[in-house]
Amino acid sequence: MAKLPSIGQFEQLVLTAVMSLRENAYGVTIHQKAQELARPKSISIGAVYVTLDRLEDKGLIASWLSEPTAERGGRAKRCYRVEALGERALQESATTAKRVFDELVKVLGKDWARNWGKQPG
Amino acid sequence: MLKLLLPPACREEVLGDLHERYSGRLAYLADACSAVPCVIWSRIRRTTDPQVLLMEALALYLSFVGAARLFGQTPFLYTPWGLLRLAIPAAVALLALILIDAYADPAKRSPVRPMIHVAAAIGFAFLSQASFQAADPQLAVPLRIMFYGGGMGLVLLSALHAFFAPGDHRPRGAT
Repeated sequence: MAKLPSIGQFEQLVLTAVMSLRENAYGVTIHQKAQELARPKSISIGAVYVTLDRLEDKGLIASWLSEPTAERGGRAKRCYRVEALGERALQESATTAKRVFDELVKVLGKDWARNWGKQPG
Repeated sequence: MLKLLLPPACREEVLGDLHERYSGRLAYLADACSAVPCVIWSRIRRTTDPQVLLMEALALYLSFVGAARLFGQTPFLYTPWGLLRLAIPAAVALLALILIDAYADPAKRSPVRPMIHVAAAIGFAFLSQASFQAADPQLAVPLRIMFYGGGMGLVLLSALHAFFAPGDHRPRGAT
């Protein structure tokens, strides 16, 4: 089994966006979804492109060029999908995040956990 | 103009995305200013191997130093900043090579492409030396060293570039 590469927080964000968009994952939609997940922080489309390339180099996602469309001025879009390794890496990140959250609840108390989900964002 | 700035490997999708997101001139400009440097940097990162770059830097620099020693220009090496002045054309050629590789079209493959890229990069080094000659001759390297060093560098770098071809790690279509 391939060794899981480590992924940073922003990479997790972009990977999650690609996974949730399924067949409709390409530059514009991935940026919109990642922006939604990252709120209230704003993210640039340039950062999304760099991260998509990095994820592809790590073998976590794959890409292909689709047919050109009129709404894009007759240009093709590069679509992405998450590979099996990417799914495992994301699940591992989610497991780690859950462990961190559970530990914080132990330290900060259940009141904190109750109020945590109600924070604006 | 944006079409010229974007590397061919990612031109299609980036231009398409910017077109789809268009909501006004200023917003388009902001998107372009954000996207273009990032995709250029990403493309450079994908086509440049630091270890190969280091080998090429050494090969090119030693070509110029070797040319100075072999072709009667040894006194130049002992002039103030002589060795450092020899690094300038090597650095310019390497920078040009990095950019040429980043902007190469991955769809067009040819066995002579490595040599063409290296020749173009060394050409840029010659151009930079010509401008130094005009602006500040103290920074320029003698033409004899440039000529012979450039020739040796062309052979060495073409071989390195052919053996360690810059990789486009993007898979050719998802499976």
